[in-house]
Amino acid sequence: MSQPALSADLCLKCNICTAACPVAAATDLFPGPKAVGPQAQRYRHPSLPLPDLSVGWCSGCGTCSRVCPHGVAVAEINIQAKARLARETGIPLRDQVISRPDLLGRFGTPLAPLANLALSAMPVRWLMERIIKIHRHAPMPAFRTRTFRSLRRAELLSKPDPDVGTGVIRVAYFHGCGTNYYEPELGGMALDVLQRLGCEVVVPPQGCCGLPLQSNGLFDAARAYAARNIRSLSAFARANYHIVGTSTSCVLSLKHDYRTILGIQSEEADLLAENAYDFFEFLALYLDDRLEALPLRQVEARALYHPPCQLKAHGVGTPALAVLQRIPGLTVDLSDSECCGVAGTYGLKAEKYAVARTVGSGLFDQAADGRYDFLISDSETCRWWMAGHARLPVLHPLEVLVRALG
Amino acid sequence: MTPVLVVGAGLTGLFAAALAGRRGARVTLLTEGRGGLEISHGCIDVLASPLSSVELARLPATHPYQLAGVERIHHALDLFREIVAEQHLEYRGSADSTLSLPTAAGHTRSTMLAPLAQSAGALGSQEPFHLAALDHFRDFAADYAAARLRRSGMPVDGVVRLPMPNLPLNRDLYSTDLARLFDQPAWRSETLRAWRPRLAGVRRLGLPAVLGLAHSESARLKAEEHLGIRLFEIPTLPPSVPGLRLERALRHAAFAAGVRLIEGAHAVGLVEATYPGSVSGVVSQTAGGPRPYRADAVILATGGLLHGGLLARARGTVQESVFDLPVAHTSERDDWTADSPFATQPYASFGVRVGGGFRPVDMQARPLFDNLFAAGGLLAGCDRSREGSRQGIDLVSAACAVEEALR
Repeated sequence: MSQPALSADLCLKCNICTAACPVAAATDLFPGPKAVGPQAQRYRHPSLPLPDLSVGWCSGCGTCSRVCPHGVAVAEINIQAKARLARETGIPLRDQVISRPDLLGRFGTPLAPLANLALSAMPVRWLMERIIKIHRHAPMPAFRTRTFRSLRRAELLSKPDPDVGTGVIRVAYFHGCGTNYYEPELGGMALDVLQRLGCEVVVPPQGCCGLPLQSNGLFDAARAYAARNIRSLSAFARANYHIVGTSTSCVLSLKHDYRTILGIQSEEADLLAENAYDFFEFLALYLDDRLEALPLRQVEARALYHPPCQLKAHGVGTPALAVLQRIPGLTVDLSDSECCGVAGTYGLKAEKYAVARTVGSGLFDQAADGRYDFLISDSETCRWWMAGHARLPVLHPLEVLVRALG
Repeated sequence: MTPVLVVGAGLTGLFAAALAGRRGARVTLLTEGRGGLEISHGCIDVLASPLSSVELARLPATHPYQLAGVERIHHALDLFREIVAEQHLEYRGSADSTLSLPTAAGHTRSTMLAPLAQSAGALGSQEPFHLAALDHFRDFAADYAAARLRRSGMPVDGVVRLPMPNLPLNRDLYSTDLARLFDQPAWRSETLRAWRPRLAGVRRLGLPAVLGLAHSESARLKAEEHLGIRLFEIPTLPPSVPGLRLERALRHAAFAAGVRLIEGAHAVGLVEATYPGSVSGVVSQTAGGPRPYRADAVILATGGLLHGGLLARARGTVQESVFDLPVAHTSERDDWTADSPFATQPYASFGVRVGGGFRPVDMQARPLFDNLFAAGGLLAGCDRSREGSRQGIDLVSAACAVEEALR
């Protein structure tokens, strides 16, 4: 039995997870994380039929695991149960497609103008909804003509340089698919800021983290991506590079999901996990003094910061907030909502869209009170979803920092 | 700004963090999960009988109330009322008298501070009341509660059955589901319209505590206005709406005071320490590797045996979970419990012993570190359930620990 499944025994049925679950609050189709998780788990034997299909409504945001006071891996139990449900009931073509952002990017980038035109046309979106069940109103990012990797060839490095002990802080940047195909400038900012703070920064070989595949139940394919990333990135970690990423959910895969949800147990997986950092977590731990020494320009604005669920699952709080609060002129309010709703690919699905939209309604109401110039969030899928619904620009905290750094 | 770390985000930790933040400290609040407020009735039990120096003198010398003294007890409760009132959650009552409130099981329970929504149900008044049975809501058995309350002489006039139109019914309803619906003005108006014809002759009505979560006070007032009767709430099974409201108010107060919250943090030990001397922070286990959090003062608010602050080992040892501080306990496992479940339970007073400065002490009663403090359910020298002092000790020890930490 997997580690998460064993943790079901720690459940006291206190329902703290149910009270916090944003999906159970949005729909009565979902009985809540306790009911489908630790409670249903005792009926989930590999040789027995599935006891309950409602776990399919779980968005995988991870709130339940974070709030559990007794150490039950509620979300991990449910993600594994959802994967079995998907395997046994069949994984639709739609899920096979949206779970491969790297393949989509590889096809989309060369055809960017055409692909973007098509994706912004309502008749096309209507057809997509009819044929492959991607909701016509689900916001989508635009393809770019150049990938991040093609723009920063100078920093690409296929094998780690041996550490010669210069004392320089070394960073191997993990960009993720979002940065590579949709937001290459964010990766550029990460490299520039780290270099300005005196780090040696390289871009190692890497692929999709595999999280969308994992969320859609394609565990074998996710494990294949994971294995390649672990091999490549752990070699960099061994050579004293810190693995730093701006996509907070992808970094969480490296730290947590590979080992706990996909069940990969190896020395390399541990080495990678222990040396992986979210961008602002890394700044706070290693570069805060240097950053504080840099002058920050006035950014006259009021912003609403929504820390993504996947960031909160790192267990390091919201490290970007402390940096944002130092920017002169900038007022940052904290989102009142547990989750924006999209949870990666969940909100794109025609049958889940309304639930995801309801989950995010508190956030969108808060954003719509007219006081905010822009929103801030650390995850690309949250940003795209929030921008589409709140009708305000949504920035990565690093973009805000770069404005202040000038 | 003094950097202060608070470990644990139950009533004690949230209150300590908010207080320290308001006093200008730079506060980091580490918590593994959410605290017990989700399963709490939301009231503040201070003692079973009104607080006085005579009452206090009956408690053991090492009791947190003895260490605090009457003045500081009153001061802590005042601070609590002030902080939550700013978040639109009003508490009634005082430590000088007890409030008797009906429970969902048809008992009466005494407390000292109750949210306005519950205090209106105080049984001191002989004004008769009805209880409400809400259609489709299984967590409140009004008939059962009414019968038992009437048997113990309470002025219960009867039970009214109230229809609940437009409910999502694909699964059992939790109190939180109804509370969130009551936050929505349109749903609320429609439901109250359906209730109105059923309330002829009712002057005071006891409802399960579901009248709003984020906007509870306005939801209840709107309902009273619409129905023209007085309403009060009775807490139900977890998830408990009054506890969630209190947690929400304290979180907002903490955020407003600049507190940095780190959830999913598993505190595993000290960054470094000199003994005897001081500690320099806490190491937390994260999704990746361990991370250090440094501070000038650390307040432990991790709770007791049920909450993860104390760990019971099979062989009879009880450990403090973060720093392995000395724990006052009996080491024979057979001696942990009394023969009768209704007797005083030895395990209930297990905990970390603190001195007058709310610093954990060694077996010779000397402080272990000058900047490490403990508060709440972790503390030894008290039996919170027998004394009826659970939340009172949380608040008082949190306020004292903050005062000492920032001294």
